[in-house]
Amino acid sequence: MKLKGYFVEDIPRRKFLELSLKGGAAIAATPSLMMQLLSCRGPSPGIAKLKIDPEILNKTLRKALEKGGEFADVYLENRISRRILMEESKFKSALFGISQGAGVRVMSGDKTGFAYTDEITEEKLARAAEVASFIARGAKAVSPVDVQEAKKESFIKVKLPLEKVADEKRLDVMKRANQAALGYDPRIKMASISYYDEIRARTVANSEGLLLSDELPLLFFIVQTLGVSENTRHMGRERLSRHSGYEMFDEVTPEEVAQTCARESIAMLDAKDAPAGIMDVVMQNGWGGVLVHEAVGHPLEGDIIAREIGVFTGKLGKKVASDVFTMVDDGTLPNFRGTTNFDDEGTQMKRNVLIKDGVLVKYMTDILSAKQLKMERTGNGRRESFRYIPIPRMTNTFIEKGKDKPEDILASTKSGLYVQSLSGGSVNPITGMFNFTCREAYLIENGKKTTPVSGATLIGNCMDIISNIDAVGDDLAFGPGICGKGQMAEVSAGQPTVRIRGINVGGSRARR
Amino acid sequence: MDYKKLADQLVKKCLTRDADAAEVYIESGRNLSIQVRNGEIETIQESATHGVGFRVFVKGRMAFASCNDFSDKALENAIESAVKFAGNTTPDENNVLPENRGITRVEGLYDPQISQIPMESKVDLAKKAEKLAMEDRRITKSSGARYAEGEGEIFIANSNGLLKNSKMTVCSYGVSVVAEKGDQKSSGGESCSQRFFADLKLPEEIAEKAAKNAYEMLDPKMVKTQKASVIFDSDVGYAILGGILAAINGKSVIQGRSFLAKKMDQQIASKLVTIIDDGTRPKGLGSKLFDGEGVPTQKRIIIDKGVLKGFMYNTTTAKRAGVKSTGNASRGGFTSLPGISAHNFYMETGKTPPEEIIGVTKNGLLLKGVTGYGINPVNGNFSGGASGFWVKNGRIAFPVKGLTIAGAAFEMLNGIDMVGDDLDLNRSFTAPTFRIKLMQIGGE
Repeated sequence: MKLKGYFVEDIPRRKFLELSLKGGAAIAATPSLMMQLLSCRGPSPGIAKLKIDPEILNKTLRKALEKGGEFADVYLENRISRRILMEESKFKSALFGISQGAGVRVMSGDKTGFAYTDEITEEKLARAAEVASFIARGAKAVSPVDVQEAKKESFIKVKLPLEKVADEKRLDVMKRANQAALGYDPRIKMASISYYDEIRARTVANSEGLLLSDELPLLFFIVQTLGVSENTRHMGRERLSRHSGYEMFDEVTPEEVAQTCARESIAMLDAKDAPAGIMDVVMQNGWGGVLVHEAVGHPLEGDIIAREIGVFTGKLGKKVASDVFTMVDDGTLPNFRGTTNFDDEGTQMKRNVLIKDGVLVKYMTDILSAKQLKMERTGNGRRESFRYIPIPRMTNTFIEKGKDKPEDILASTKSGLYVQSLSGGSVNPITGMFNFTCREAYLIENGKKTTPVSGATLIGNCMDIISNIDAVGDDLAFGPGICGKGQMAEVSAGQPTVRIRGINVGGSRARR
Repeated sequence: MDYKKLADQLVKKCLTRDADAAEVYIESGRNLSIQVRNGEIETIQESATHGVGFRVFVKGRMAFASCNDFSDKALENAIESAVKFAGNTTPDENNVLPENRGITRVEGLYDPQISQIPMESKVDLAKKAEKLAMEDRRITKSSGARYAEGEGEIFIANSNGLLKNSKMTVCSYGVSVVAEKGDQKSSGGESCSQRFFADLKLPEEIAEKAAKNAYEMLDPKMVKTQKASVIFDSDVGYAILGGILAAINGKSVIQGRSFLAKKMDQQIASKLVTIIDDGTRPKGLGSKLFDGEGVPTQKRIIIDKGVLKGFMYNTTTAKRAGVKSTGNASRGGFTSLPGISAHNFYMETGKTPPEEIIGVTKNGLLLKGVTGYGINPVNGNFSGGASGFWVKNGRIAFPVKGLTIAGAAFEMLNGIDMVGDDLDLNRSFTAPTFRIKLMQIGGE
């Protein structure tokens, strides 16, 4: 949605009415089906395990396929969330959310019908199944296979379960971060600490006889600091997020998060105007991976390929990038923000190499696009909640590490822009045009990182960029983020230090 | 379910569970979304839902809980969770709820007809827009057409005796297509949103614009990096409004995180610039009888002929700033606390026809597409990706893509030297065509 990019920090989630309006409004606002990687999010469970009689699920699936259709699934969800906000050294608000419901989907050829219910009862599920089956009227019917409970390998290991953590401990990490941020430098005038955790219990059942359940813990910790000097202000941001237990804060301390954030705020107070025009760009390892997430990842999602409109349509097996470029989407990295045990359609997570040594080898699919493309299910069928239909989404997406030393990459770049971190960006997956906003960037002069420059836009075409990456470092790192594609998904993006020859930089002055 | 009665009862229940003050916010609604592609239905999604949010105040401490289960046990549990969670927050004298200040009369927010119109008509509308757009020979593929509608009712009750409800509808449809030429691909789309089904634009108009947006950007050229005029088409004027809106947010102002924090009553933009927030416009997509806390909405001047005149507040922020709430409490649904946002936020119309603005421009960019985050509300820096047409000697010369534009907010706002007469208030966040005399453009 067009406005979203502009309100990123300020608009809480979305308005209820807009829930349904996304479709039309999204086209309205963004003719190009633009996708935004947002930088902040607010949402919405004590522990309530989802317990349901498998026979109710069988009945629902039979009802869903009564009128016709070849596939149906039921997704049940229960989410318990806690959000606490600390600003100006005060605990300003605390939000507790309990949400539950179920979505029923029916597929018939290329058609999909979907309905959801807030109440998980046999009657309400039957009603949702009936509504969802509307699109399959008169089509050939397949009888569902009775569900059989299965188990999948778990990539999420928990030492300190969130439900056993006392609220005091939550407040404690926030206080520690606040103190570390404000103590970093007198020019840090304000710190905002946002703590979020949730436990999402899921059950997926489908007409192929699948029945899977699990529980996913999620932690999301965001520190923002305001640096103020005589001439300018800069909001720094650092995020830490994992599908894990509370041990996350032992592995990365709140102080570290806060100091990283404060460092950015202070460094950018000296920012000068950025230069404008096409130049070489070195991107530091980490969250910069959002560039390939947007520029290459979205165009490799199966829905856009099945519609034969995506920029990578018909390019499977072809050389699309430089030899040094290998890109992977891996939903199995232990406890990562983009990791789950199985996707929201029940497909096992895997490591999917998408582009290998410059050659396109795989698209990311959900059940529908895998069927349409006659390809394997890659475990990328994800949904924001029971209120949404699953669509192909990324998990943990990254550029595989290369052989170059990061310091050599910088030293061998005569002039250009050194991008230490990005805020986020978007792509038009049809044309491949993307844009990103720098959060922290420096000039490169004679192979050295010199003056900091203010938030410039990077713009280009994905095909050019992946062909123009000529150096890939050995220092692969990741960062957590939120990906928006009509609905939100928690993802990680990663990359080693890379150099891209020639990107258009949106600075406010001519190059000297 | 009688939600109004329930809201009132639930406030009372909160008060019996240790809360000194409480607010109950209930939403109930229905959604329909239809997607078609290549003349066939691709997806139909239809559901009804509801949810409740509790804001409780315990000895000056505030907390919130939400749930979508309306069983007595679940509601009780949510209230208890909110009260218990309040023990974690810091007491604050600004944690107050609004008094009942009545409502604003706003006509045309609810169309009772939408739910009566058969599904087939809605499917046909989307199909027709797609078919018409595909008739242009330059258009090669469809990325789909959509129709969506939502109907909802909001109920707010608080312990100051406020009890209000309001019904609203929204419907929208649009189409997105692709033009191809050799290896080139260009996508374009158009859509329309209205409170009333009968007010939706004709599919002919939607289709023509979608197709045009796609094909007219074929064969783009690159231009040199330079300073030149930038004409913001009325489709992209929002690009400078977002940063202003975030910077006049009362909370950001108090926290010093706004580039406009110390600029009240000062000239911050050219005299041609007047910006208004109007919550009262009949049939307005952003109009409401009352804001997210039940405070009546109003029409306010934010920037008057270039002079900054107004910040936006909800009740808590207003108390802190020592002013009255401006009726700008926003609600992201029943799961979140009131924030601050605008209703119908727009730049007032000017006097110059857009053709004339282009006609007097010797060398510059007619901006039709902009990407990025807009003006940074903290420091006022602006940088974005740009596409559109290059203007030479008053005429459109060729399409341009892959450019950047950048500048500082005050320079940009003061640099506005022409404002068009083509304001379209059918959008809730909008501006007429306007020109910024000189901006840095990044290219070759």
